[in-house]
Amino acid sequence: MKRFSGSLKGVLRILLILLMAMGVGALIILLIGENPLEAYGALLRGAFNGKRNFGTTLANFTPLLLTSFAFAIASKAGAFNVGVEGEVFLGGIVAAWIGINVHAPAAVLIPLCFLGAALVGALWAFLPGALKAYWNVNEVCVTILMNYVAQFITSYLVSGPMSAGKANAQSDYVQVTLTQFMKPSSVNTGLFVAIVIAAVMIWMLSRTSFGYKVRMVGTNAAFAEYTGISPRRVLIQAMMVSGAIGGVAGCIEVLGVHGYFLNNFATGLGSNGMLAALIVKCDLRTVPIIALFLGVLKSGAMGMQQSTGVPKSIVDTITALFIIFATMETLFSFNRANRRQKRGNPDSKEVKK
Amino acid sequence: MLGRIFTPSLIYATIRSATPILYAALCASITQQANILNIGTEGIMLMGAFFGVAVSYLTGSWLLAVLVAMASGAAMAMIIAVGHIKYQADNCAIGMGVNLFAVAMTKFLLNSVLGKNGTFTDPNLAGIPKLHFGFLSGDGFLNTVLNDWSITEWFVIALVLLISFLFYKTAWGLRLRAVGRMQQAAQTAGINVNSMKYQAILIAGLIGGLAGAHLSLGYSKMFTESMTNGRGFMGVAAMYFGAANPLLTAVGCLVFGLADSVGARLQPFGVPSQVILLMPYVVTVTVLAISLIIDKKRRDARKSSLVSAGVK
Amino acid sequence: MNSPIIEMRSIVKNFGDVKAVRGASFDLRQGEIHSLIGENGAGKSTMMKLLYGMYDRDGGDISVGGAQMGRITPKLAIEKGVGMVHQEFMLVPELTVLENIILGFEPRKGMVLDLPKARAMVQRYIDQYDMDVQMNKRVNQISVGEAQRVEIIKILSRGANVLILDEPTAVLTPQEASHLFEILENLRRDGKSIVFISHRLNEVMEISDRVTVMRRGETIGTLSRGEWDYGKLARMMIGREVFLNVDKKASEPGKPVLQVEHLWTSGEKEISKIRDLSMEVRAGEIVGIAGIDGNGQSELIEAITGLRRVEKGRILLDGTDVTNGSPEAVRRAGLAHIPEDRNLRGLNRSMSIEDNMVATKLREFTKGGMMDRSAIRRYAEELVQRYDVRPGNPQMPTSSLSGGNAQKVVVAREVEMGAKLLVASQPTRGVDIGAIESIEAILEEVKAQGVAVLLVSADLREILSLSDRILVMYEGRITGSMPVDEANENTLGILMMGGSLEGKEEAR
Repeated sequence: MKRFSGSLKGVLRILLILLMAMGVGALIILLIGENPLEAYGALLRGAFNGKRNFGTTLANFTPLLLTSFAFAIASKAGAFNVGVEGEVFLGGIVAAWIGINVHAPAAVLIPLCFLGAALVGALWAFLPGALKAYWNVNEVCVTILMNYVAQFITSYLVSGPMSAGKANAQSDYVQVTLTQFMKPSSVNTGLFVAIVIAAVMIWMLSRTSFGYKVRMVGTNAAFAEYTGISPRRVLIQAMMVSGAIGGVAGCIEVLGVHGYFLNNFATGLGSNGMLAALIVKCDLRTVPIIALFLGVLKSGAMGMQQSTGVPKSIVDTITALFIIFATMETLFSFNRANRRQKRGNPDSKEVKK
Repeated sequence: MLGRIFTPSLIYATIRSATPILYAALCASITQQANILNIGTEGIMLMGAFFGVAVSYLTGSWLLAVLVAMASGAAMAMIIAVGHIKYQADNCAIGMGVNLFAVAMTKFLLNSVLGKNGTFTDPNLAGIPKLHFGFLSGDGFLNTVLNDWSITEWFVIALVLLISFLFYKTAWGLRLRAVGRMQQAAQTAGINVNSMKYQAILIAGLIGGLAGAHLSLGYSKMFTESMTNGRGFMGVAAMYFGAANPLLTAVGCLVFGLADSVGARLQPFGVPSQVILLMPYVVTVTVLAISLIIDKKRRDARKSSLVSAGVK
Repeated sequence: MNSPIIEMRSIVKNFGDVKAVRGASFDLRQGEIHSLIGENGAGKSTMMKLLYGMYDRDGGDISVGGAQMGRITPKLAIEKGVGMVHQEFMLVPELTVLENIILGFEPRKGMVLDLPKARAMVQRYIDQYDMDVQMNKRVNQISVGEAQRVEIIKILSRGANVLILDEPTAVLTPQEASHLFEILENLRRDGKSIVFISHRLNEVMEISDRVTVMRRGETIGTLSRGEWDYGKLARMMIGREVFLNVDKKASEPGKPVLQVEHLWTSGEKEISKIRDLSMEVRAGEIVGIAGIDGNGQSELIEAITGLRRVEKGRILLDGTDVTNGSPEAVRRAGLAHIPEDRNLRGLNRSMSIEDNMVATKLREFTKGGMMDRSAIRRYAEELVQRYDVRPGNPQMPTSSLSGGNAQKVVVAREVEMGAKLLVASQPTRGVDIGAIESIEAILEEVKAQGVAVLLVSADLREILSLSDRILVMYEGRITGSMPVDEANENTLGILMMGGSLEGKEEAR
């Protein structure tokens, strides 16, 4: 019962914060002389009206679900993996390379693409993980800088060695694709892959001993080490799982959405996934809801821009405000004991030390 | 080939590339002294870059543009300050929030205020003036190396010295360092810890805004969406490299600047542009990792029982 | 006598649901040493932190120098002449002694620090009260006793008339403590008023003019010199007769279980580096390590338990070489470990009691990579009952437990490992007296079952009452080793200071 009222408060808090962000957004829309209600209406229509729009929402949701889980898993072990975007890029390019160059039946080739994408994502995430685990090199810095590196590497490949020779920098078509089932939108069977991965992650974290170790390391690494868990190994493993999920997201985008590797296709996928995870403090059960919500905003934004004069970047602005307010732990926390703790609970101070 | 890369003009090219990162690094160093990791440096800088260009275009005054850019940086920093200090937001989380907010907001403002998408530039844009010393023109070397720096490139040198002085010679600096290293000790010494943190973040915001203005009005004369391109994070990396000491941090920035300007000179030799573009990032990550690895080795060595006290 | 300069009436302070202080009162007169005594958790420190403005009080009146005080901040307290030396020193380790002393009250020219002036000022206090400190050393390079003198100078230089010392002797040797008492006498002679917080009755009776006793957040009474005796104060403190001397059974130690041979390891400080240390613990005995905190005890324990690299030498556990083994490998070889810091290493405060209970037995409770939840619950329920952890719901987070109950979770988990060697580091630090009794009894029981026990404690009473053999550590070496019946507080104190027992002390 207590638990229930606790999560109810959490939902209420998120809703209030969302209202606040949308309120500020409405103000900005008013300032540029447009009608916020109309804009928000257009936004909803753009996300849900008709099979195409709804399909696009789901297509947007697919990579966000994966990138948000990728971020959340690393975060559970105490790493702030901003590098998911780079892993999406690299997963995409490897899937594209395998899909173009390896000749095998689809039943073999598709899993091979996924495997290759996951592997390269995991390896890419290994580096910042190891740097943090062994030498405490700040992973935010490393992963974000590595995103640029990943992006430039793929950009080089599709405009050079892997180029299809078209006006846009892109690769050749892959031989196998994931089935798109709500045409003309690009939502594809990758959606189910994403959902299965999300479910497995939730199960893994709460039920398996690996999940237990991850939570242990993320909440108190010194204790974990003392009990015989290697915090370094677990941190690196969690980063690699995170990277693998990012790679899979890249693979789905290439095989399911585009059919080839399009230069810069993943821009924003990593950061939006991070947003979704951060808004609910990486609580895996609620992350999908936020990811879906961001998917709605993303596809609705297009419709809004087309039918009203409001540029779609306002939606990104509102999402950014949403996350800024959401990170403020004690904003709308409804928890008086919590707030009181700010000043002098001796035990809580001890723990921090 | 080496002769064509390492010419006297490389010196200025390095300083030119390093300056925006150095401003960002100073922005990160100030909050770091108060033990606040300033992940939002990138966003503060981007906001400053936009307001610099916008105000310069609308008013024609580069000085006013720089001041407004600094104010906008301070405003962004205050979001971090209030979130982190008052509402206990996690540093990384709110920092990334501010970064994303800056990307979206500048995109939105570029569209709705300046009516452009992607990039804005205009002949009427008043850039930060460059200083030309007539008496140096005669000497080929000095002319190449020292002439035509923009004002903000000279100013950053003064700022490094000024901030070093502030950290290590003033009462304010002593208090700031005490707050960052052991908050409770500072608190019991009667220091208002939160006030110190607000002050540090505010000053960092002003400098971060200046970093942006320099990027869009001194380093270049335009605004492009997400034009900071990770420079804020390079600044944070340089701050780590220099352990928040302004002088050492400046050395780190010069290394990154050198990588950037050497890279730029490789283009004629057939190196693909993407490889050149990714070089500064690779160098930054490498330098960051190596400096922290060495730092840890040194700390371990100091703790070792096999050294010191003359015992072996 | 003269009127009180501090008066605290009906003070109330709650931390969440915990009532730390409930209607306590206290007053302090000019020029007296007034001790505030009570068990851990009686509310002594909280009471004084309220006076110093570290916490806001929830009720009651405080007056300083006759003036009623509203909300107090440390800054205001300092202005009113109140200074506090905290149990954990409020010194910034990376800054110098001088910088620490002037922090917040810096003499300056304009914005710039005036260091020569600061130096002269500190020198005056050094001369006046005979408190030798090295101004240019960084605080992390000086000894605990010196750091304490730095704290006192810091407070005096801010114009304090009232000095609050929170358990100042807890980290000192008996000899260092008597030096401190001389300083306090000097200060009193100068007209300063001193609040002395302690739970050591002997020293309290030695130096106090008056004593106020607190129990469970209330003041039980105030006695003046001549009105007290040991038994009376102890009864007031505890509320009943208590004898903490465990009935010790004569031990018959078996074969060596832990052998440490010529061990060298790194240390957090110069004096805590272990250099060429050898020792052993045999089955069925308790070996106690006495020493002032920070002389390498933590480093030694970490090296034995696989948490710190061994640079030279060898560690054998039950015949197996565990030198530089991972913590897991050492545990497999037969180690159980009650760590010194319950909140950092001993427990994961954000996890439930049951998750904490099985943390060192993960293998036993997983099947094919999955956690066996029902077995975990059964096991935790059993332990919670057997070790009397309250409240006894294994799904509660450990953050909701009191210090004593939290420590019982640690003890239960480690004792149930069925290990050959139990390392117990500060097993009763910061727990209530009931839990002390039961934890000490458990250690006795474990020993009786033939387990080798290595005990590290800053509490000499505990060392003397539990150990069969006592080792004294000083600056990373063992400076003394003796059977318990040859040891007493005095001899241990001398060894803990680096002195030798052959007449001349004071090796430093």
